[in-house]
Amino acid sequence: MSGMANQPTSENLRRKPIWIPPWGYAEGWMIVSGLLMVGFALQLAGGGLPSGVLAWPVNLYTALIFSALLTIAHLFGRSVPLFAWLGRVPATICSIALITFLVLIMGLVLQDDEAAAPWVRRLGLSSMTSSWPFLLGLILFLSTLGMATLKRMIPFRWRNTGFLLNHLGLYIVVLGGLMGSADVERRLMELREGELVWHATDRAGHVYEMPLALELIRFERKEHHPKAALVETGSHRLLSESKADLFEIDSDIRGHLGDWEIEVHRFLPLSMPVGDRYEPVLDVGAGPSARVTAVHTGTGEKREGWITCGSFAFPHRLLELEEDTALAMTVPRPRAYRSQAVLYTPGGTPETILIEVNKPYRVNGWTLYQHSYDDRFGRWSRTSIIEAIRDPWLPVVYTGIFMMLGGAVYLMFRGRKLIIPNTGETTRASV
Amino acid sequence: MLPFDPANVTIAAMLCWLVSLTLFAAARGNRTVKATGHVLYVAGILILAGLLTALWQFMGRAPLRTLGETRLWYGMFLPLIGYAVYARWGYRWMLYYAALMATVFLGVNLRHPEYYDRDLVPALQSPWFVPHVVVYLFAYAVLAASAIVAVRGLIRRARTTELNVADNLVQIGFGFLTLGLLFGALWGKEAWGHYWTWDPKETWAFLTWIVYLAYMHHRIQRPQQVRVSLWILSLAFVILLVCWFGVNYLPSAADSVHTYGRS
Ligand code: HEM
Repeated sequence: MSGMANQPTSENLRRKPIWIPPWGYAEGWMIVSGLLMVGFALQLAGGGLPSGVLAWPVNLYTALIFSALLTIAHLFGRSVPLFAWLGRVPATICSIALITFLVLIMGLVLQDDEAAAPWVRRLGLSSMTSSWPFLLGLILFLSTLGMATLKRMIPFRWRNTGFLLNHLGLYIVVLGGLMGSADVERRLMELREGELVWHATDRAGHVYEMPLALELIRFERKEHHPKAALVETGSHRLLSESKADLFEIDSDIRGHLGDWEIEVHRFLPLSMPVGDRYEPVLDVGAGPSARVTAVHTGTGEKREGWITCGSFAFPHRLLELEEDTALAMTVPRPRAYRSQAVLYTPGGTPETILIEVNKPYRVNGWTLYQHSYDDRFGRWSRTSIIEAIRDPWLPVVYTGIFMMLGGAVYLMFRGRKLIIPNTGETTRASV
Repeated sequence: MLPFDPANVTIAAMLCWLVSLTLFAAARGNRTVKATGHVLYVAGILILAGLLTALWQFMGRAPLRTLGETRLWYGMFLPLIGYAVYARWGYRWMLYYAALMATVFLGVNLRHPEYYDRDLVPALQSPWFVPHVVVYLFAYAVLAASAIVAVRGLIRRARTTELNVADNLVQIGFGFLTLGLLFGALWGKEAWGHYWTWDPKETWAFLTWIVYLAYMHHRIQRPQQVRVSLWILSLAFVILLVCWFGVNYLPSAADSVHTYGRS
């Protein structure tokens, strides 16, 4: 490993007075502490990072200039102790430690919390990603990562491919994500059946005209079948013996719940009460119901009747089995929800599209997501909220992500070089 | 209704592994016994693959709707990946470990058949769900093994070369960890509209990832500093455990999208 041979050994690094090149860990920890102090001072003085400064095209220039500066430093500034330090492992460890420290705070303190203690908020601890210390930490992280990458990139050698996939990939992901974040647009479109909507609102409440319009034809919520369960009559709590074997209700199905054998004769996914019975209907407010018989396995006692979990339009109904035990139907859980809508784009022909959870729809740089609906009405909601997102930097970030995917596979198959005892030299693993 | 009981098929797969691993342990260089062991190990995986295909056929939908069904996928993929790692690196114990992990998951299904009923919420119904979780489980399994090496090394005052196994495990585990993180990002984009939101679970996944990264780089530069490396490795595993089990209990996780377990 020629790259390693001319690195200072740990012995002479430790005895070296601080700030005499080559810099190592001592200088690194000083730099990290300095950045933290400056970061928190800026935070106290001026509050968080000004938002939106890095909007297009400033972010593009910033990314290019930053990368160009690193390249120049790498090509011509090797004699500057700082630049030499940035490309080696001590700087890597120090910058990783700094990021770890800041992200650890983020992982322990609730973010975006209005109720956080004043000092927590003033130091930016509850809004870490838009704080000065975090930005400075990322700059150090990107500088070390960039310098390490350049060392193996110029001149290019095929055997460095794995290294470059990981390091350059991560550099692209972090820089692209950071720079791109100001250009991300997220807006909500509230659709109502039969209404043409071409405006959208962002989180701050600003209203925008969109370069597309949507008309909701139908909001659909598909549901899993409800389940049969034993509950306590008074509290409606599930009885523990019933938790183990809820069974899915369907027509002509038998099952056991506790001491009772249940038979479902008829299951109506959509129904309404008519007198004492339930009839299938497709009207707004319909809900599931089932006609069931329950026979006690010990005594042979028989109960017969309807059960339903109700809907916003009619109440639920239990079948009483024993003094404080009843048979109930659970509220069906959503299986999928989606919006069927007509999409209008300038110059394009109107098109009927489906937008579903996990299946967003892409059009003209915007991606449309099924966001939410009016859950008071469940499947009968007549409004549907669509989130429209534009992230023009996504291709950049994805390029980095796919490089890293390749790098990860490479890593697993290459394995680690083995360290030979006493010399500290490395050789390729052959285990 | 299925014309067969998934439980019996699951048990058949587990028996295959049990016999296979017993044969490995008893082989003592006997080629035929070893080969039989390999055949049975792979047979266990194929039986589960067959079960999943059959479920898919009979139910007319991907068997990915309930927690019980997703456990079958883990049960198939863990030994599959374990076998691939064994084939590449020759770690025999990997076969035991992967089969044991798979048995735990399948055992949960056998003990709690009701898990076949528990429906997945729409956000989890995605082709990304199984790869994302399987890859993470496998990373955790391999990194747990590296943590065992670390603790043993700290107690026994390990020397440089003893870390070679840990290094290789971290390299494999870290590769899977990276895949899990990236699959999660790609899925997040499809499901929630952004690839990274610093949700508490994501934050802790990132912390786990970056501490292992620190370990790897520290090993490159200071191969002689064994104790520091061992401490980083132990710390990394503590953070991994927080990420896996602890996040739901942290104050910072008040409104995480990842805490499905609670409802
Ligand atoms: C995806 C994440 C990363 C992976 C998988 C990774 C992996 C590696 C590996 C395997 C090596 C040894 C290369 C070899 O000897 O062939 C290495 C070296 C190195 N890495 Fe990373 N690394 C990652 C991120 C980083 C980051 C974030 C930094 C800096 C902040 C960094 C800085 C370095 C440096 C300075 C070296 C030594 C390079 C040299 O001596 O030429 N790496 N990395």
